Amino acid sequence: MKKLMLSLLLLSALCSQSFGAVGCDLNDPDRDVKRFFPQSTGYKTAYMSVDKLGGETLLKEIEEKLGDNFSGLYETIDVPYTLYTIYQKDKIIGYIHGINQKGQYGGLQVFLVYLPDLTIEDFYCQKLTSKKAKELRSREFALQFNGLTFKDFENYDPKTAQGGSDKVKALKNPNPQDDADFKAILRAVKKNLILTKIFINAKEAK
Amino acid sequence: MNIFQISYKNLLRRKTRTFFTVTGIMLSAWVLVTLLGFNRGYENSLNNDIDAMGFQIILTAKGCPYEAATLMLKGGTGLRYMPQSIVADVDKSPEVSKTSAMLMHAEFDPNKGENGGTSIYLGIDPQTYPEMKPYLQFQQGAWFNENSQDEIVLGFEAAELEQREIGDLMILPGSETEFKVAGILKRTGTQDDGMIFLPLKALQKTFGKEGQLTMLGIQLKREADANLFEEELYKLQDVQVVSMAQVKNTIMSLVTSAKVIVLSIAFIAFLIAMFGVLNTVLMSVFERYQEIGILKSMGALPSDIFKMILIETALLCSLGAAFGIIFSLAFADASEKIIRYFLPFTPNGNLIAIDLQIAALSFAAIAAIGIIGGIYPSIRAAQIRPLEAIRAND
Repeated sequence: MKKLMLSLLLLSALCSQSFGAVGCDLNDPDRDVKRFFPQSTGYKTAYMSVDKLGGETLLKEIEEKLGDNFSGLYETIDVPYTLYTIYQKDKIIGYIHGINQKGQYGGLQVFLVYLPDLTIEDFYCQKLTSKKAKELRSREFALQFNGLTFKDFENYDPKTAQGGSDKVKALKNPNPQDDADFKAILRAVKKNLILTKIFINAKEAK
Repeated sequence: MNIFQISYKNLLRRKTRTFFTVTGIMLSAWVLVTLLGFNRGYENSLNNDIDAMGFQIILTAKGCPYEAATLMLKGGTGLRYMPQSIVADVDKSPEVSKTSAMLMHAEFDPNKGENGGTSIYLGIDPQTYPEMKPYLQFQQGAWFNENSQDEIVLGFEAAELEQREIGDLMILPGSETEFKVAGILKRTGTQDDGMIFLPLKALQKTFGKEGQLTMLGIQLKREADANLFEEELYKLQDVQVVSMAQVKNTIMSLVTSAKVIVLSIAFIAFLIAMFGVLNTVLMSVFERYQEIGILKSMGALPSDIFKMILIETALLCSLGAAFGIIFSLAFADASEKIIRYFLPFTPNGNLIAIDLQIAALSFAAIAAIGIIGGIYPSIRAAQIRPLEAIRAND
C-alpha cells in the first residue's frame, strides 16, 4: 500500500500542473491575532484578489493611488490577498492584512494591524531578508507606524520616496546608508493601506 | 482468368457488402493498432519520465533525511554527513554511469516569522546535477556556471516567496555573502519548487561543511543490475541506500495491470473481427449456393472453390487491416488528445507509439484471424454438391 501511495505521488509529481500566484498569510493566525488583539474572541478570513474584484480598471485605480505600477513576475493582478477581520463577540475590533513586497535581498511580508477606522494600530514584518533585518524588525521601528492612515501616505511617491505627511517624513530609517529595504517597506505600507480599504469596502458591499 | 481474379471480381460484384465488411475489419484493426500503440507509448513515456528523474539510487549517510519535507518535520535537524571521498569510491564501480554529489543544509533564519524559521538549501555540482535532472526547466535564466561561486538558482515557489527574478541579489541567513539569482525553475510539483540551489562548493564554504555531503545521486548503466549494485553499496560503512528502482518496479507493476486490461480489450476487438468475417463470408456462400454449384458442374474442383472463398476472405481482411492501420496512424494525435483529456495523470512524450513492428504484427494478426474465420465458410462452399445446388434453383 505504501509503495502504491508512493508511486501515485510520484506519478502526480511527474505530471506537472499549474497553480496561481502566491499570497501572504499569517504563519500562525490564532497566535498572531491574539498577540495583536488580546481582547478578540474570534476572526474571519477572507481571500480576495484584484482581478476578481474589479480587474484591469481596479488595477489602474490602485496603481494611480499608489503612484507606481505593479511590476515584476510576482506583483500581478491575480495575487490572492488574505484579510483577517477581528471580532470581539459580534463587534469588529480591527483588521490584519499583509502583502508581499520585493526587497533588496529577498521577499518582505509586511502586515499592518488596523483599527476599524483603518488607522494603523501595529506594524509587523513577518518575513524580511536584509543585512539590517534586525533593525527593521525591531519594536522601535514598528512603533513609528502606529496612528498613521492612508491620508498620511496619500502624497507619498514610492518611486522617489518623497512626499507624504509630516508623520511619514518623520519615519526614521534605522540604516540611512542603505535605504533600499526601508523604501520597499514604505511602498508596501502604502499598497497595504490602499488594498485594505478596497477589500473592506468590497466585503461590506457583499 | 485465375482463381485470384475470380475472387477479386466476386468482391467487386457485391460492393456494398464488401464495403461494410472491410469497414468492420478496419474498425477492429484501428482499435487493435491504437491499443497496442498506447500500450507501448504509455510504457515508454512512463519509463522516460522515471529515467528523467536522473537518479536511480540515492546514497545518504545512515539516518540522514533525504527529503526536504522530512527535514522540515525534524525542524531542520538530524542531517548526517558522508565524506566527499565516497564519490570516487562509487565512481569506480563498473555499474555506475554518472554520479552527482549534493549537500542539503537547513539553516535557522531568525527573520522568518515571529520566532524564526528554517530555510533549506541544496548544494549541487553544476557539472553533473543539471544533466541528471533534465526535466527541470527554467522560467527565467539558467543553471549557474561550472566555476561560479556566487550564483543561485531558485525553485518556483522559493522565488515567489523571496520575490526574486534573475539578476536579483540574495543573502543567506547568518552570512553577508551576496548571491546573484542565475535562474528560476518552472513549477515541477516536487520538493524542487521550494528549493534554493547553490554551487556545492559555495554552500560547503558558506556553512563550514567543506568535504562533506549529505547525498550522492547515482545513475546506473542500462545493463547494470540495480539490486546487485545496491547490495554492493551496503558494504560501504554508515550509508543508506534509497532506491528509485523499487518505485519504478511498483509503477511498472501498475502499468502491467493496465496492460492486461488493454490487451483484453484488444482481444475482444480481435474476436469481433473474426466472427464478423465468418458471418459475412458464410452469408455470401449461402447466397451463392447455386452459383457455386454451377461452377462445380463446369469442372471446378472442391479445392478451387475452397481457395476462391479463402482468397476472398484474405482480400477482405488485408484491405480492412491496411485501412485500419492507416486510420490509426492518421488519428494517433487525435486519439492521444482524447486520452490526455480523460486521464488525470499522463506521462510526457508520445502516448501512442505506433511503429512498423506494431503495424506489421496487427496486419498479420488481423489477416490470420480473418483467414481462420474464413476456413469454415470455405469448407462449406467446397462441400456443395452441384446437382443439389442446381435443383435448389427450382
